[in-house]
Amino acid sequence: MRRSLTSGGLIAALLLVSVLLGVWGLLLGSRPLRPEVLPAVLLHPDDSLEAVLVWTLRLPRSVSAFVGGAGLAVSGLLLQILTRNPLAGPGLTGVTSGAVTAILLCFLLLPGVSSAYYPGIGLAGGLAAALTTAWIAGSGARPMRLALGGISVALFLGAVTTYLILLSGPQAASLFFWLSGGFQGASWPKLLSMLPWVVIGTGGALACLRAISLFSLSEQAAAGMGLSLAFWKPLLLLLAVLPVAGVAPVAGHVAFVGLASPHIARLLHPPGPGWLIGLTAALGGTLVVAADLVARTVVLPRELPVSIVAALIGGPVFLHLVRNHRITSKEEG
Amino acid sequence: MAASLSARPRSAGLLLAGCLLAVALSLPLAVLLGVADVPLADSLATLSGGGSAMARSILLEFRLPRVATGVLAGINLAVSGLLLQRITRNPLADPSILGISQGATLAVAVFLLVTVYSHAPGGNTLPDLPVAWLPAVGLVGGLCAAGLVHLLALRHELGPIRVTLCGVAVGALLHALAMGVIAGWGSTRVEILLEWLAGSLYARSWDHALFLAPFTMAGLALLPVLLRPLDLLGLEAAAARSFGLSYRRAFTAVLCLASGLAASAVGAVGPIAFVGLLVPHLARFVVAGHRALLVPVTVMLGAVVVTAGDLAGRLIGGADEIPIGVVTALLGVPVLILLLRKTP
Repeated sequence: MRRSLTSGGLIAALLLVSVLLGVWGLLLGSRPLRPEVLPAVLLHPDDSLEAVLVWTLRLPRSVSAFVGGAGLAVSGLLLQILTRNPLAGPGLTGVTSGAVTAILLCFLLLPGVSSAYYPGIGLAGGLAAALTTAWIAGSGARPMRLALGGISVALFLGAVTTYLILLSGPQAASLFFWLSGGFQGASWPKLLSMLPWVVIGTGGALACLRAISLFSLSEQAAAGMGLSLAFWKPLLLLLAVLPVAGVAPVAGHVAFVGLASPHIARLLHPPGPGWLIGLTAALGGTLVVAADLVARTVVLPRELPVSIVAALIGGPVFLHLVRNHRITSKEEG
Repeated sequence: MAASLSARPRSAGLLLAGCLLAVALSLPLAVLLGVADVPLADSLATLSGGGSAMARSILLEFRLPRVATGVLAGINLAVSGLLLQRITRNPLADPSILGISQGATLAVAVFLLVTVYSHAPGGNTLPDLPVAWLPAVGLVGGLCAAGLVHLLALRHELGPIRVTLCGVAVGALLHALAMGVIAGWGSTRVEILLEWLAGSLYARSWDHALFLAPFTMAGLALLPVLLRPLDLLGLEAAAARSFGLSYRRAFTAVLCLASGLAASAVGAVGPIAFVGLLVPHLARFVVAGHRALLVPVTVMLGAVVVTAGDLAGRLIGGADEIPIGVVTALLGVPVLILLLRKTP
């Protein structure tokens, strides 16, 4: 009971931090705002420059960053539970590359297709890549097979996307920026297109709590308790890919958030899978809001892709995981 | 492991002859064929000293250096892959899986952007950029990445799985950083960097070939000396030590050589994926039992695969040639999947 209170408090604290970062972010930019102007602009939006800056540029961007980060983090958590592999995440299983490549192919080869379909296309690509990686890795928890399978899928798709971008000519620079991940183009409509996917993924995960807690013990435990693996594994995979498919058209390839957030959340010892999902989502969101704030303010008037900041935060977590003896001792024996 | 793909014994002489034939066919074809049509008689005249001015310029300034660079890079990558697969006892090791290529990429990206900003702020065409330095910069970056992997894995007795996972982790981190650097500061130079990133032999000159040659020669010269340590490194650390091998020193030496070979190649031609991974397996499949021939066959096939892949990319793509990195990725992935599925 006390631990759930602590977890609830932590989630609330993270949300508060996100809100504070978001509000602070409203003030920062190539045209900074004075804090005392903010309440008036927020309460009475008009046509002034300040209102436009806040309401159409900075606010949707911060909210998108939170939603995107939360979605990616939940996706990483589900993939880690599903593959029983601590290194799994949207990046290292090839899911993000699959989604991004499919969307890019569609954008370049079928320019007539409306961008409203991109999440669906991303979903197909992400699922295809995830299934390929899973097929390569085979059954059982073998971090190395999964890592190598995922990295080869990602390398292959990376070569394809690089070539596609080279073919695209004048659009190369903007496509590349999208591909490298960031929320610079975020707007309310884009946020709305992303939101349902993240909500369905997270909500679905929360709805399947019993299955998830059994799966995090082991597949045998899940099967022994009467869960049909043939039904639940594809369902959980689908739930894991949904948020990535929603985020990819807006923000491209945001690396390391999905991998690192679940591990940081576990360090905080949530009392059950429900709290773990909540904490992971809140952490992922806060991480990306913070990373996005750094990315867009640290080298004004230029922008960094959010991935470079996320990599600086998440990369060390990844290296720590790999060095951690528990993960590989099984295989090294 | 890969030898199980084929069990039919072949005669060693026939095998070598076959490989030599492949080399003898692919190299001249790569020189004689291309997007610009040069009549065969004109080409042959050029190669024997005469020929028209146009043929001389196309063959001697574009195609020959390109093929030479490709051959050297192919050999470097293939031998590097062979060494890495042996020391990590992992049939899937490759410079681009162990983070070496990503280190070179990051170094090149940072170097280009820094020099462009400090020396030629407006420059966004190829001649404005200090392209001649790229191979050396890539070499340094690749070596640093390999050093980092080595350092991270060292604490755990350099276990093969640890080295591989550390490589994957370092590679992913450096790749994200490189992408970030390019997207953040690349602006109009993104295309040049992308061209390099795809792994391409486009516009490679004699300078590139000259840069690579010493690495290739040093690598090939050192290989015979390393054969016995290499055999022992294929064993468990304790077993290798019982044969009198200083495991850590041998491991480090081979890793240095492999990274030097790979990083120089990546510096000169960009991160061509899968050559280091595939060619040794192809060679094992071809030699099927004649283990002594493995190294020479790997060297020859490395040259052939890159040259032929580049030729295919040039002929199929036409004016928009398909970069060699894309060709090898397309060819490599099915083979890789086959290998992974066969690994127990």
